[in-house]
Amino acid sequence: MTGISRRSLLAGTTSSLVLSGLAAGGKAAAPGQSAGPTAPDTEWRYYAADQANTRYSPLDQINASNFNDLQVAWTFKTDALGSRKEYQLESTPLLIKGRLFTTAGSRRDCIALDGATGELLWMHRVDEGQRALNSPRQLSGHGVSYWTDGTKERILYVTTGYQLVSLDAATGLPDPEFGTHGIVDLKRDFDQDIDLVNSDVGLHSTPLVAKDVIVVGASHTAGDVPATRYNVKGYVRGFDVHTGRRKWIFHTIPLKGEFGYDSWIGGDADKAGNGGVWAQMSADEELGMIYIPVEQPTGDEVGLYRRGDALFGESLVAVDIETGRRKWHYQFEHHGLWDRDIPCAPILCDIPHNGRIVKALAQPTKQAFLYVLDRTTGKPIWPIVERKVEKGNVPGEWYSPTQPVPSKPPAYDQQGVSIDDLIDFTPALRAEAVEFVKNYKIGPLYTPPVISRPGQWGTITVPGLQGGTNWPGGSYDPESHIVYVYSKTQPSVVGVVPNDDPKVSDFAFVHGIEGMKPRPQIAMGSETSGEFRMPPPPRPAPGQKPGGMPAGFLVVQGLPLLKPPYGRITAIDLSKGDIAWQIAHGETPDNVRNHPALKGLKIPRTGRMGNLGPLTTKTLVICGEGGFYTNEYGVRGAMLRAYDKATGQEKGAVYMSAPQSGSPMTYMLKGKQYLVVAIGGGNYSSELVAYRLPGKA
Amino acid sequence: MMVEDRNIRRLGIAAGGLAILLIGGAIAHAQTADRSVWTGVYSAEQAERGKAVYTDQCAACHGASLAGGDVAPPLSGSTFLNNWNNTSAGDLFERISTTMPQSAPGSLSGKQVSDVEAYIFQANGFPAGKTMLPPAQPMMAGIKIVASKPAG
Repeated sequence: MTGISRRSLLAGTTSSLVLSGLAAGGKAAAPGQSAGPTAPDTEWRYYAADQANTRYSPLDQINASNFNDLQVAWTFKTDALGSRKEYQLESTPLLIKGRLFTTAGSRRDCIALDGATGELLWMHRVDEGQRALNSPRQLSGHGVSYWTDGTKERILYVTTGYQLVSLDAATGLPDPEFGTHGIVDLKRDFDQDIDLVNSDVGLHSTPLVAKDVIVVGASHTAGDVPATRYNVKGYVRGFDVHTGRRKWIFHTIPLKGEFGYDSWIGGDADKAGNGGVWAQMSADEELGMIYIPVEQPTGDEVGLYRRGDALFGESLVAVDIETGRRKWHYQFEHHGLWDRDIPCAPILCDIPHNGRIVKALAQPTKQAFLYVLDRTTGKPIWPIVERKVEKGNVPGEWYSPTQPVPSKPPAYDQQGVSIDDLIDFTPALRAEAVEFVKNYKIGPLYTPPVISRPGQWGTITVPGLQGGTNWPGGSYDPESHIVYVYSKTQPSVVGVVPNDDPKVSDFAFVHGIEGMKPRPQIAMGSETSGEFRMPPPPRPAPGQKPGGMPAGFLVVQGLPLLKPPYGRITAIDLSKGDIAWQIAHGETPDNVRNHPALKGLKIPRTGRMGNLGPLTTKTLVICGEGGFYTNEYGVRGAMLRAYDKATGQEKGAVYMSAPQSGSPMTYMLKGKQYLVVAIGGGNYSSELVAYRLPGKA
Repeated sequence: MMVEDRNIRRLGIAAGGLAILLIGGAIAHAQTADRSVWTGVYSAEQAERGKAVYTDQCAACHGASLAGGDVAPPLSGSTFLNNWNNTSAGDLFERISTTMPQSAPGSLSGKQVSDVEAYIFQANGFPAGKTMLPPAQPMMAGIKIVASKPAG
């Protein structure tokens, strides 16, 4: 019996979206797709279940009592899609009327599969040649989006080469009324002139469909060593789903005269690039708003050419669905120097606060704060206080005197580094770690990057440049008002080095370690811009100890520098603003379990680093592991684990051949609940795996 | 412990399967099954060559210190070692040669790939030896990647 209670259906925005999804699915159910005797079919219409990004399903056929009985219903290997194998399938597929839709393979083809059997129904591909090879975001991406008016059905996705495609969901054929033969070239009509083949812009994320508007963001080459401060600007646009016509554009880097321009010093906004929205987005159709998480302007750790608070860097911006006009914004970090793009969609949630239900949102972040705002106004639910922070020593850098710090909920992963945080499995390892960090700067969360030199290679930043939480984002239970979020404890070294080589970068300082010649970070494959590809002359590396690890490796005898957990899932109760529970997620890595220095020690499960999105159901939080380990049978793999969502207690685990690479989703089809998850990595190429309970399908 | 068990099992299988082969062949195979990255499977000179290839072809995404980036996994340290533990040098060779660099997969020669792999091994603390990693996947399929140095 499925657990879709009347209470959950009526409990707020999130659930009303579920309701509309069910209604549409039910109405359109084709003959031969009759629901099972006990359970109606359900759907999964958005990347993270709904426009609110809850990644929640009220299903409970798969539950604590039977999770260990799950069997593989089918697998779909993506090797034949594209001209080579892929190992990094980040998709969460959609399920609509029994059909799964996703992007997959190294070329990012778009496919439809039978949800019960995994059979390929259709495939669409665009061979973009060099344009795709130049893209800053390769491989299969996060998946697709869906639109319907009840009759027409469209699948929308963005190609590797940054084109928006609209397909008929039934056939996979391009919609002839959309753009040019079903395609809109996203490098055009962008309020800036950019090269169609070589320019540094692409997108991994799915477009966001809200009403009849398709919202598309932009992403760029990572900006640790930016080739140029004049990079492409990552504006966000809304397109008409019927025609592909551009309806609006939002300048994430404001033009002169626009709101936010004055937050830049010396007109830096005119020149700066990036400021893209590479994360997923959320929408509240009732409020008529979409919520866009913006990354930094050019320079992930160096802000020389984006002086000032530089809106809308590291801000969440609410804009009108129909016009793209800004309603409000909130900047989570001012002039960040730690690559803290907002990596994922905010979760829209209706939470009890001071005796009433507030339309709120909760934004997981790389810095491991969950920022909770009123989504109508952008005002914090709990006070967010500006705190004084330290200034660094990079010449010409602009430092924000303060950073906003939420009073609630507490940080859900480690922030900053102190001696107490260092590895302590044994006193000898701790002593070695203490010696190790003497060559680095350590301190609290907003300790700035410093000029790299022997004796102080850089600042150890925690969470590291890849977060905390990254692109998969979190999950939310609308009944208990609890957010579930995975995060990793993975430190990074942020040092800054001078650069006088225009072939590397036009920045005077870049992220790097003294003695290691910085490499240009360019759009992948842009050999055409040959001047940026010339190898620099080799030069001695004083950072390299003879026979040892070069500076920048944060390991002690091959073990992580910091104490575990290395990966965790945290339950955050938004009715209180407190952490309800927190557990290590992921089996202890092989090199910890087998390390000679740890022989005889009993080490509790450490969790694993990864980029993971949990799924919440009626009773469970379900999440795969982020790394391989070798199990008691000597077999490599990873586990898909299920936890009691009320307590965090593990209730079951099933084997996967490789780690979770894309977040799981679930649906009921012909009386059977399916769990589908993308896996791959290491020497195991990507596949989708569908699990269900035993018995006749 | 576990790793040793597996080696013993593999040796057993190898010995059984090779009963019909010449004695010399059986000995060679047994040695192959024993080989891991801790037995000196690349040369220091090869790693030096690999570093140059890495700097030119890989560092832009994977970082000068192999620490990885937003869109590229680390090639050193705990994450790398554990994700590749109990695979083979041949598995890593195949992954690199067929998918990297992402802008021009398949463009590296076998020699360049094995040189890069030698550099990655060096960066992860595996010892150099006298022989070089061979420039083709099938020739290194018997070299096991083992994250932790085996006892003894």
